[in-house]
Amino acid sequence: MQNTFIAKNPSVLWFLLGLSLFTVIVSICSEAAGTALISTSFLKTLGKTLCLCLVAVAMDVVWGYCGILSLGHFAFFGIGGYAMGMWLMYDRTKDIVVASLENNILPATMDEITDAIGAQIFGVVGSFDFPLIWAFSHSLTLQLLAVILVPGLLALVFGWLAFRSRVAGVYLSILTQAMTLALSLYFFQNDTGLRGNNGLSGLQNIPGLETVSQATLSLWFFWASAVALAAGYLLFAWMTSGKFGSVVRAIRDNEARVRFLGYHVESYKLCIFTTTAMVAGVAGALYYPQAGIINPAEIAPMASIYLAVWVAIGGRGRLYGAVIGAAVVSLMSSWFTGGSAPDINLGIYVVQWTDWWLMLLGLTFVAVTLFFPKGIGGLFDLIPRKGDRR
Amino acid sequence: MRSALFALMLMICSASAATAQNLQPILQSHATEVTNPSRGSVGEALDAITGSGLPQATAFLEQWSEKNIWQRDDGVFFIGVAEDETLALTDVDTRATSTAPKTDFKQLKPNGGVRRLIGTALVQFQLIDPDLTRRETAVASIARRPEAAQLAPLLASIDAETDPALRARKIQLANFLSARFADDPTSRIAAINSLAIDTSVESRAVLNQILTVKSDVTRAQPEGNIAVIHDPMDAPYAYYTTLVDASLAPAKQTAADIKRALEANIVDGRIAGFPLTQMSDPDTRKTAYAALAADGLVPVLITDELRNAALNDHVFYDLYDEPNADITAAAQAALGSVTSRVAAAQVADLTLDALSLASIFFLAAIGLAITFGVMGVINMAHGEFIMMGAYTGYVVQLFVPNYTASLIIALPLAFAVTFGAGVVMERLVIRRLYHRPLETLLATFGISIALQQIAKNIFGTQARPLTSPDWLAGAWVFNDVIQISYIRIAIFVLALMFLGLIIYILKRTRLGLEVRAVTQNPGMASSMGIDPDRINMMTFGLGSGIAGIAGVAIGLYAKVTSEMGSDYIVQSFMTVVVGGVGNVWGTLAGATMIGFGQKGIEWLNPSNTLAAQTYMILFVILFIQFRPKGIVALKGRAAGD
Amino acid sequence: MSTLLEVSGISVSFDGFKAINNLSIQIAEPELRAIIGPNGAGKTTFMDIVTGKTKPDEGYVIWGEKSVSLLGMSESQIAQAGIGRKFQKPTVFEAQTVRENITMALKNPRRPFDLLFNKAAANTEDRVRAISDDIGLTDALDLVSGALSHGQKQWLEIGMLLAQDPRLLLVDEPAAGMSAVEREQTTDILVRAAKTRAVVVVEHDMDFIRRLNCKVTVLHQGSVLAEGSLDHVTQNRDVIDVYLGR
Repeated sequence: MQNTFIAKNPSVLWFLLGLSLFTVIVSICSEAAGTALISTSFLKTLGKTLCLCLVAVAMDVVWGYCGILSLGHFAFFGIGGYAMGMWLMYDRTKDIVVASLENNILPATMDEITDAIGAQIFGVVGSFDFPLIWAFSHSLTLQLLAVILVPGLLALVFGWLAFRSRVAGVYLSILTQAMTLALSLYFFQNDTGLRGNNGLSGLQNIPGLETVSQATLSLWFFWASAVALAAGYLLFAWMTSGKFGSVVRAIRDNEARVRFLGYHVESYKLCIFTTTAMVAGVAGALYYPQAGIINPAEIAPMASIYLAVWVAIGGRGRLYGAVIGAAVVSLMSSWFTGGSAPDINLGIYVVQWTDWWLMLLGLTFVAVTLFFPKGIGGLFDLIPRKGDRR
Repeated sequence: MRSALFALMLMICSASAATAQNLQPILQSHATEVTNPSRGSVGEALDAITGSGLPQATAFLEQWSEKNIWQRDDGVFFIGVAEDETLALTDVDTRATSTAPKTDFKQLKPNGGVRRLIGTALVQFQLIDPDLTRRETAVASIARRPEAAQLAPLLASIDAETDPALRARKIQLANFLSARFADDPTSRIAAINSLAIDTSVESRAVLNQILTVKSDVTRAQPEGNIAVIHDPMDAPYAYYTTLVDASLAPAKQTAADIKRALEANIVDGRIAGFPLTQMSDPDTRKTAYAALAADGLVPVLITDELRNAALNDHVFYDLYDEPNADITAAAQAALGSVTSRVAAAQVADLTLDALSLASIFFLAAIGLAITFGVMGVINMAHGEFIMMGAYTGYVVQLFVPNYTASLIIALPLAFAVTFGAGVVMERLVIRRLYHRPLETLLATFGISIALQQIAKNIFGTQARPLTSPDWLAGAWVFNDVIQISYIRIAIFVLALMFLGLIIYILKRTRLGLEVRAVTQNPGMASSMGIDPDRINMMTFGLGSGIAGIAGVAIGLYAKVTSEMGSDYIVQSFMTVVVGGVGNVWGTLAGATMIGFGQKGIEWLNPSNTLAAQTYMILFVILFIQFRPKGIVALKGRAAGD
Repeated sequence: MSTLLEVSGISVSFDGFKAINNLSIQIAEPELRAIIGPNGAGKTTFMDIVTGKTKPDEGYVIWGEKSVSLLGMSESQIAQAGIGRKFQKPTVFEAQTVRENITMALKNPRRPFDLLFNKAAANTEDRVRAISDDIGLTDALDLVSGALSHGQKQWLEIGMLLAQDPRLLLVDEPAAGMSAVEREQTTDILVRAAKTRAVVVVEHDMDFIRRLNCKVTVLHQGSVLAEGSLDHVTQNRDVIDVYLGR
């Protein structure tokens, strides 16, 4: 089965080969390997980029294959990050608190420890008590489950409501955007118990791994991100090929017709919407420990729209297109806004890329939508292949 | 002899009559109290001065209170203003002016308490002063610091008051004073009852002052005009704190207290025989503490049972400062009636707020309703057109300093600018993407990013002011509860004007007819000589232009930043979708629903506008489940399903 | 011949316009039935109601031996119950191959997890080939269906209908835009299909109807004007009035 699947989808094999090669090269060049050709901070950027590629692949499946332009998948990404971050922050703070209580004359009771952790985490929003939302934060297993289940459940409920009442097209996009806005406003509130606009921080420190250097830790996360991307890519390649994929693409092209063929379109959409949301959650859970900090601004509607931009520029309707788009645009974005791009002196005006990059991106995006709807991935169609069926 | 006596008497009479014409002799006869006044002694002098009924008494009292009275070495009083080493003097009676060196005079400096008494004495003069401004000042000063002594002169001045507004104010103020200070309870109750229909903040303050209470605790049955007796079990922690503060009970030990006590009693690494390592268990801590308490080493642990027993032994009550129960009852009843009136007024005020919010949403969304509803084109850059309009207003104000004129220039200019931008965008981008709505959404989003960044590069990141003309500043105050700023009224009027204008354009003009024709059947329309491209261009321009005008209006009351557009875009889409696409009335209904909904939620949870927005969006998402086509839904084939 | 579909007394109006007015039609199994009528007679709306796209304001739609009402069912449930529909405009999935199009339509379990985790039925290839032989597209199986001619797309869509193995086929203007030869082939396909199931054809073209040689129902202003053989209805006074104008 697996063999025939790979045989039918040669691009998957090429992608996995490329990803492995990239991972090996980066590993050799990393500080942890001793060569230090790549700085740890750049290694983190690469690891984060892999996570962004994963969420872009999910976005491509839901938009490029199923035709649902979701403006909410970065919110699922953020929720995954928060779920992971809660455990990281709790457990790390607990280690610090326990260490600091060590010198006390009396050994601390559980309540004292919990109170001290609460004061440490929530002092910044003027509170000391653990909100209900943190009930499982002590358990890595439960929070890891939450990384998948919370985005999944949210997508399931939202998708069920929306698809059931036949909200489609731009209406659905606007509705998902509204959902994202509501979520980010919710996360911004101090009452929510997620530290309001301070967000969660210090996530780069992994509890129990204090002795491991950041260089090594970053490499591990890079590997984990690469594995997650490979697994996600395989999962979605498998889902979008074969008869299931055929039905999903048919839904994109003519939903009503698929219905008259006897398929329950809503189930298929819900299946795709929920699965991609869960994968987005996983990507977020791997991204934020590398970023070190997460705050509600990360899940603002803007972020989800940028996600759509990456996929569109990379070329939607093909998984590797999404990967290319996310990698190219996010890396260029950090290059331009990081101040490393050289300014252009026009004589009367000096173009500083930190100011003009977004404008360039916006106009590029308009141009891609107008003139190159296939995106960068479309270039691969120009390569003549033997036995090309299409 | 008799005639001589009579002549003498006449002389004395005329002398005393002459004395009555002048203030100086009265002052001289009370010279000690005037030069060295104290709150106890000055009353006599004040009575004599006010009792003389002389017109110049007012001026003297005012100057005295301002520390402008100087006494010459020979004891004569003058009104004087010091200029370096000389004094400009005015005679207290004749008002003749002169100058003299300062060294011969001594300034009278009455202290604060005396000045307040002077002020009170002054009020009765000022209240009947021929000058309206002075009377108003006097009334205002009474309102600022009401005192019992002011009641009688205030009442006395009402009949003679000629100005109707001031007369009403005096009656109101007299009511306030009577309610608090009248001598006999009947008139106080009458005054209090008359306050029951007054929703002003002052009236509520008067009633609350009558109803001020002091919380106290006692073992026995409390006496006096009791407001309320509390059940301590409602908030045992807080009431026990009261008990501790009143030294009626020992403080309850906190976990930290217990910990400290335990730490203080470590003997050979053990506490009451327990090893330290077991102290991570809270139960062991309790046992150890109990053992220490049994040995008398620490105070007995106040458990919840002990605390409750202590609480139940005491009576917690609020005592009115006012001893007369009838008066407090009347005040309580009046306050209840006022409160319900205030609540009704608040609902009215909330309705006004909601209405103005709705008109802002309507203004922001109506342009979108045209492009999205009529053409089916989704324009993510709509918010940026609003921003462009607002910046146009700002730039115009840079060149035209007169705010009214600049506003009159800015409105059509903003329309022109955004109309132009809309037309350019339609020709370059939208036209190529008709019937590909998702692509349109994304392309216009790209434009939105670019426009935002351009605005940021030109105008910087900080907010720019768009100042409204003076006649739009301030608020229309209906009463202390209901008020609405003129800007919001203006926005409401603007929204109404747009509603009318757009309905007129769509229903009554050639353009509107052609727009509707193209919307319903583009093929047929073009075969009848209507150029759909031109119509689409005009429609898009119109929608964008209205966004520009909305931008000026929104800029007047909110800050103008490069990101202001994105604040409105989602809400605008919600408004259009909730209302029902393709229908101006639908947009109105949507704006009304979202405006009222958001204000309503804010009212339920006033501290949290973020939460109000969150719940409103959730509500909209749910609403769309049940009415996917919005409030005003097109039925049948026209809906295009 | 037993009654398969019974439509009785249905009415539906859009914004006051009565598209269907107290319409009653019975279809037996197997049967070939042609429905004709001028524009706006309610032919397409009739199909919309049967397939669940439009809900009627009143009336019943009863299906099968068990007399189930179709009104409470969704489009996909109705399709699974055995009603297939071909649209006026050929709507095949142009980005996918002919094989994929037919495979999708084949009568198989249709839930997402069936498709993801169950192995494809062993005889899938044979069934696809049988259908493609029937519609004459075997050589084009691996072509993207967007590359087919207009007539071929119509056949493919009929083929997809047959692949669904429905008991009732609703076919909307199958011959539109076809050449004479293609029309003849289409007639053959439909007549062959009608031997084992009910087929309802909506068509304007009288020659095409004549070739079908079946019972004809004439619709006018949302209700049945006449019913019977083509010769019978063409001699009906009312029908002549409607078609030629009074």
